[in-house]
Amino acid sequence: MSRHIGYLFIAPAFIILFFTSIYPVAFSFYFSFFDWNWGNQENFIGLDNYLFLLTDPEFWTVIYNTFVFASVSCFLEVTIGIILAIFVDRIVFCSTIIRTILILPLMVSGIIVSMISKIMFNNLFGVIPYGLKQIDIRSSFFGSTEAAMPTLIGVDVWWQTSFVFIIILAALQGIPNDTVEAAKIDGASEWDITRFIRLPLIKPIIFLVIIFRSIDTLKIFDLVWGITGGGPGISTEVVQTYSYRMAFGFLEMSKSMTVMVIFSMVVFTLILIYSKFEGKSDE
Amino acid sequence: MTNRKRIKELILPYIVSIIAIILTLIPIYWLLITSLKKKKDSFTRPPKFIFEPTFENFIKVWNNDFYAQTIFNSLLITLIGIIISIFIALLCAYGLKRYKIKFKSAFMKWLLVAYMLPEFLFVLPMYSIYQSLGIYDTHFGLALMYQVHVLPFSIWMLRSFFDEIPSEIDDAALIDGCRPLTTLFKIYVPIVIPGIVATSVLNAIWMWNELAIAIGLTFSEAHPVTLGISQFRGYASIDWGGMTASSVIALVPLILFSLFAQKHIVKGLTLGSVKA
Repeated sequence: MSRHIGYLFIAPAFIILFFTSIYPVAFSFYFSFFDWNWGNQENFIGLDNYLFLLTDPEFWTVIYNTFVFASVSCFLEVTIGIILAIFVDRIVFCSTIIRTILILPLMVSGIIVSMISKIMFNNLFGVIPYGLKQIDIRSSFFGSTEAAMPTLIGVDVWWQTSFVFIIILAALQGIPNDTVEAAKIDGASEWDITRFIRLPLIKPIIFLVIIFRSIDTLKIFDLVWGITGGGPGISTEVVQTYSYRMAFGFLEMSKSMTVMVIFSMVVFTLILIYSKFEGKSDE
Repeated sequence: MTNRKRIKELILPYIVSIIAIILTLIPIYWLLITSLKKKKDSFTRPPKFIFEPTFENFIKVWNNDFYAQTIFNSLLITLIGIIISIFIALLCAYGLKRYKIKFKSAFMKWLLVAYMLPEFLFVLPMYSIYQSLGIYDTHFGLALMYQVHVLPFSIWMLRSFFDEIPSEIDDAALIDGCRPLTTLFKIYVPIVIPGIVATSVLNAIWMWNELAIAIGLTFSEAHPVTLGISQFRGYASIDWGGMTASSVIALVPLILFSLFAQKHIVKGLTLGSVKA
């Protein structure tokens, strides 16, 4: 009895997670081999959905958009976040207030960020296009196929750089003082200490932040749905909005599930890389 | 090192921080002042910085039955979600700490995968499963689906708080004849109350801001506040007053609330890997 009582404590979590994760994933996987479109009937069609998608140029455009969005946003957020953290780390006076303000964007939901962007970038009455016009720059932002994606990335950078910033800052402040003091006595400058001591010490954390941000940006949904809806055309369509449109707009349930199954394998690979690293750091 | 160079090194961080603060606050400031503008003041060229503030947008939004309902829905969903996740995560975190569990590391990996996989992988099949179970478009249904994210998160968080409790306490309780459940609720829970509060706040923030799962699993009855805000975004007409006022109403309590969890945000964001 007492040997098995531990499993009783875990059972409720197991049951709920089974129902909310394994069951739907199995369901998605199973129906990706059928041609179900909300009707009462479905036929087994083998790998047809996979073959259809992998030969569909629209699908590849969506994949391309998603990776462009994820890699550029991730790169900018991590770079800016680290630089910002290095500077704020040196501040003694007012540092709590600065930190509190700089993580505000994380509290703002994606849909509210969308609302703000729609208003500030509005072509007719938005404050940003107006400001740019004063210095003779014509801008279209979400209105043109070329500018929509970079603008979207810019919005995400505003929104999520704080995530990188706050974690890197915590890591920098967690570095034991004696290491840094020793270097200072040896006459190293602040920049040298940062470059050769602090940053190498927090390398694992930087890696962790990159993984977290890349998974999160690949999964982007609310910003795109809220601001552009994937447009103009399909220039900002990403995997999750594409899957949403396919399932609820075109009623192509099985195809939509296939999209998610293919895409989830990519995310799953990233999770595996992360968990390997996580296992190492436990030792 | 010359004096000028030293001063430069001292001042530069402040300059960078001030620029970052301004860039961070401008959009939030713009949201706030747009919500206080009359319609004729929002649609002007150039955009108005000085205007006569009004609360009419807030009154209008607050009297919008659908929006008020979504606020109520989100409160209810968040509350149900927190109760389920905290209670079950307490049991699970205690079990993981106190007992030898086979496949423990596999279980932890499963938590990570469930937590991180994209939402629509779950939402699409759940749309159909929920309809056949009769929990589609219900508060409970949405709170239940949120567990795929908040439950692994709560288990991690509570586990890291439990790890700080020395196991001698267990042995002492055992000698005193405490049964496992009594030990958990009478000894462990009171010690980690701050941890439970922080976890609940972070869960609440996540559920309050969630959109993708809500879009798939609600139709109108259980629409949360994120969908309440997006209804003002109509394609044909632009209702800037409604968009901004509804956003401000949803945002302000959240910011105040989050101040309580400040200390634990970093731990939360990294699933306990980084302590602040």
